[in-house]
Amino acid sequence: MNGTRITEAARAGFDACLAAADEDAAIDLAVGLVASGVSAEDVLLRLVAPAQLKVGELWASGEWTVAQEHAATHVSSRTVDEVASAARATARPPAGSGAQGRVLVACSDGEWHVLPARILTEVLRLRGFDVRSLGGSVPPDGILSDVHRNGPDVVALSCTLPWNLPLAYRQIETCRWAGVPVIAGGSGFGPAGAWAYALGADLYAADARDAAEALLHRWPPVLRGESSVGADAVEAYAMLVRQRPALLEYLASALRDVCPGLGGSSGTEQEEGTGFLGRLLDSLAAAVFVDDERVFTRHLAFVRTYLAARSADSRCLLAMTDALAGRLNESPRALDKLSAGRRFLTGQEDGSGSRG
Amino acid sequence: MADDGGGAGAWSHTAAQLGELLDLVDEAVVTCDRADGTVLGFNRAAARIFPRLRTGRPAGTAAAPLAHAQARGAKRFSAAHAGRRLRGRLGTVDGLAVWLLRQAGRVQGADAALVDERGRSAFLEEAAQRLGASLHHGRTARTLVELVTPKLADVSVVVLPASGRRTDWHRAGPGDARSSGEVAVEALEEVPEVANALYGLQPRPAVVGAREPDALDHLVPAEFVRGGEPLVAQLAAGGVPAGVLIMWRGPERDRFDDADVELAQRFAVRAGLALATAALYSQQAHTLAVLQAGMAPAPLPAADGLRLGAAYRPAAEALHISGDFYHVAPSAGGGVTFFFGDVSGKGAEAAVLAGHLRQSMRTLAMVAKDSEPLRDLRLLNDIVLSDGHRFTTLVTGSACPRDDGSVRVEIAGGGHLSPLALRGDGSVEEIPCEGTLVGAVPDPGFGRTEFLLEPGELILFYSDGVTEARGGASGREMYGEERLVDALASCTDMQAASVAERLELLTTEWLAGRPHDDISLLTLQAPPRRGSPPHPQPESRAGPRAGKDEGP
Repeated sequence: MNGTRITEAARAGFDACLAAADEDAAIDLAVGLVASGVSAEDVLLRLVAPAQLKVGELWASGEWTVAQEHAATHVSSRTVDEVASAARATARPPAGSGAQGRVLVACSDGEWHVLPARILTEVLRLRGFDVRSLGGSVPPDGILSDVHRNGPDVVALSCTLPWNLPLAYRQIETCRWAGVPVIAGGSGFGPAGAWAYALGADLYAADARDAAEALLHRWPPVLRGESSVGADAVEAYAMLVRQRPALLEYLASALRDVCPGLGGSSGTEQEEGTGFLGRLLDSLAAAVFVDDERVFTRHLAFVRTYLAARSADSRCLLAMTDALAGRLNESPRALDKLSAGRRFLTGQEDGSGSRG
Repeated sequence: MADDGGGAGAWSHTAAQLGELLDLVDEAVVTCDRADGTVLGFNRAAARIFPRLRTGRPAGTAAAPLAHAQARGAKRFSAAHAGRRLRGRLGTVDGLAVWLLRQAGRVQGADAALVDERGRSAFLEEAAQRLGASLHHGRTARTLVELVTPKLADVSVVVLPASGRRTDWHRAGPGDARSSGEVAVEALEEVPEVANALYGLQPRPAVVGAREPDALDHLVPAEFVRGGEPLVAQLAAGGVPAGVLIMWRGPERDRFDDADVELAQRFAVRAGLALATAALYSQQAHTLAVLQAGMAPAPLPAADGLRLGAAYRPAAEALHISGDFYHVAPSAGGGVTFFFGDVSGKGAEAAVLAGHLRQSMRTLAMVAKDSEPLRDLRLLNDIVLSDGHRFTTLVTGSACPRDDGSVRVEIAGGGHLSPLALRGDGSVEEIPCEGTLVGAVPDPGFGRTEFLLEPGELILFYSDGVTEARGGASGREMYGEERLVDALASCTDMQAASVAERLELLTTEWLAGRPHDDISLLTLQAPPRRGSPPHPQPESRAGPRAGKDEGP
């Protein structure tokens, strides 16, 4: 390996390990980099994290199956473990002084993208913080119980998928009421963390390095966030949640009329075929909750790419948003987001960026 | 005070002249940095109200009403200051926070008392809210000292009840300084008021005279509180001592008066209750954590020639204990032995029996020379029967890698759901292993079976919390075996650990946040042959499968 930098060859090698789900080779490569003098933090943030982003793209574009994506993710996750323990074994002093500040890392409720939180956990540990990690999809009472029992100075909350934002809000509220500030991170919190601040998070960090620096910059963090979630938005959101089963049924039948090709013959295949409708509703509900149409249009952009990659007719999306608009004409907030969705899908608006 | 508005002013002076002009204005003007609150400038009227105000420093004690308003993030305030009512409002100019202050006439008797009383009520209300939110003992203690500075004191220390010869303290002040440490109880006891308060014998806060100048130096470096006489308040909940609060004021500030002592007492009642509750919770949480650690499944071992995975999601998520149990141990001759079961019921009662069973199984494994699963099951049946009215399902077995890369699995069981095997061709096969529940009848019958896992093949054990998870579109439908079989079939080419994780994910998604029974999954896999990467599969199903599998 070439000194303390991660070469293109190393990146390509690691990508190949993920594609082959070759755990041993991936770990050898990554731990070898640490042994040759690359900092463990760089290996985690410049090798593993970008490779894992590519895995997501390969899945979204239909090149990889779910099984391949999961197998690769598992290899990345094991690599994170081994890189961290290799770094600890070299017994270098922590790269920063976390001063043994206590951090609790958790994924938002409903969030199963655990790897970003795993990387954050190890990066913070390498910087000298005392970190507890609760793993994927942590319910608010799980966080509250840990906060009361272990008294962290700050909770780091990771959210990758924006439709989990209303659940993330409950977790943020839970922590802040218990007097513990929250640092939010992950693409689910929107451009520059806009939705993290809207939900009342005290800090936002784009990645694990930023999070470590933000915490080290001013320690301990203080409660200073202020949620801008209004009572009207919560009511409109609650209405959508209440109606979700009925709306889902209605959309599924509308989908069968418009695009009979979607969904297989058996019951469970149909469930999978229409599974994206549930996410569509959840994204609409989340957009209403944080009162930002981009939560919805970004999701539409993703689904459009996703369907196109699987040779499904993405025009059915427009039919779905129109069908929803017909059913939700008593909720101006939902209609507002749906018409933004329509503008986006019909190309009147460039959308607010595709994913990735 | 008139609202802003109307036409814009017009100026053609130099900057220096503007400062002098401001000195002519009756209203007091103080400009501060918006980010950190440092005072950047003030006019003559402001200097009359706050004689100790200096530029380049925080408003702090020199302009306490202003500092309090800044700390609260308030845009307006009305406070009693030096016997007069002071009203302030905040304007902003670029990076500047501009406070405009006006002093009302000398406040008279009842009016002044009302202003003070409102301030005290607000203080106590905030204290109750912030103290009530925390159940963590250390955090409650830190919150407590932060609350009283600078409102009541410039430096405050809470000393926690002694459990031995030394005890913990937390300090806030002066300013933003925070600290904590340990102190010898003996040293504190030199001050009678502190000793009394530590043992719950100091019903009213008391000002300590200057006769023991050094006794409290362990808590606060003397230079912080030169010559100040501290106010000592006992923290207690219904007679149970919860700690001592000791407060100092800097030399520039008035001594503690009767109103301060009364406010300290009202605060101490609330603080004592919060601290005692948190102490009790911490003890119980610690006990619980120790018990939980004993009940939670042990981490999976590493085993040559085998891949293992597990997922564990108890019904009582906050408590993290469950009636599901599993254990995998490396066995001397290679491979592993394992067991997996589900005690009837859930929560603590089920978890206790699960704990007994795990211990019994491990003991059996230690005393028995050969693995004899049927004999083990019969012994367990007797143990569970004698234990009481619960019973359990159980699968026990061993997995042994063979030279050709396959794994021979032997299982024996009673009353448990049949495990599912994911075969190399992507099909899912149920491995029947029938038998009676363990601990249900005195003369049980148990099943036993053997099978092979070829390289890449996998066996899944699961608890009924998976298939009986109620959710779906209606929220009432059970997840069911058909969905589980389909989900497992989609896991071809995945590692044992990620299969367990994915099945947990799908079940949890199905639940969509609804309450559930204990969910446990255990996977054992023969590793795929080296150099046979996963077959690139074409999209296996028609139609989109958008789900939470969405990429990162």
